[in-house]
Amino acid sequence: MDPTTSEFAPPSVEEVFRDYAPRIYMLARRLLGNDADAEDVTQEVLLQLVRKLDTFRGESAFPTWLHRVTVNAALAHRRKRASRSEQQTLEPLDSFAEDGYPGVPVNRWSVQPDQALLDRETRDLIEKAIARLPDLYRDVYVLADVEGLPNAEIAEILNLSVPAVKSRLHRARLLMRNALAPHFEESSRP
Amino acid sequence: MTCRELTELLLDYVAGELSDEQRFRFDEHLRHCSTCLVYLETYQLTIQISRRLPSCEPLPEEVIRRLRSALEA
Repeated sequence: MDPTTSEFAPPSVEEVFRDYAPRIYMLARRLLGNDADAEDVTQEVLLQLVRKLDTFRGESAFPTWLHRVTVNAALAHRRKRASRSEQQTLEPLDSFAEDGYPGVPVNRWSVQPDQALLDRETRDLIEKAIARLPDLYRDVYVLADVEGLPNAEIAEILNLSVPAVKSRLHRARLLMRNALAPHFEESSRP
Repeated sequence: MTCRELTELLLDYVAGELSDEQRFRFDEHLRHCSTCLVYLETYQLTIQISRRLPSCEPLPEEVIRRLRSALEA
């Protein structure tokens, strides 16, 4: 943005590349679970972005537009690919016994939530667990728990009801928790 | 309240959206069930560490090169 005026100065192509491409790529990769599809989507979004740069008149509208376009492009890309993981119907509560008791051991974790930055190994573990989520859970998890969007906005983006978003988010969190547990449980560490 | 019933309420508990009665029964169960207490802790940890993931990282050089040539085409 030009500091001498209150009007929004659209970023140059070079700035788009430097400042926005990594962000678009990361979001697309998390939603799609692989690098090749993320690159295709990044290219598509960058092309849209460069074509429409002159039409932006408000600074606040730009990141929102970019986020929305990236999510929509990623979802459209997946539909074209007819993703195989859509057919999976993992039910994280299936491990609970008839009496309601968890069917697996539950131990404390050694990971520290308050450390400023996650180490590389921890980040890779989380990213892999996200990539393994079934699509319908991954979309909601990435938008809610990684991107920090409110449930109402996610419902609008994904064309779902808020209760449906909450239901999927809860299942996604349980699947994530159960996927990460073997790596973080204190008793599993030497 | 069983452990499974408590687990079904975790999202609303974390969001502070349980009714007074649900919250009372939830807390009652936690007082007597160390397994669910740890399960709750680890559910919250899952959310906390996911929110600490970086929003972006530098793109690999070869990706930058391919994207640039696509944009310049």
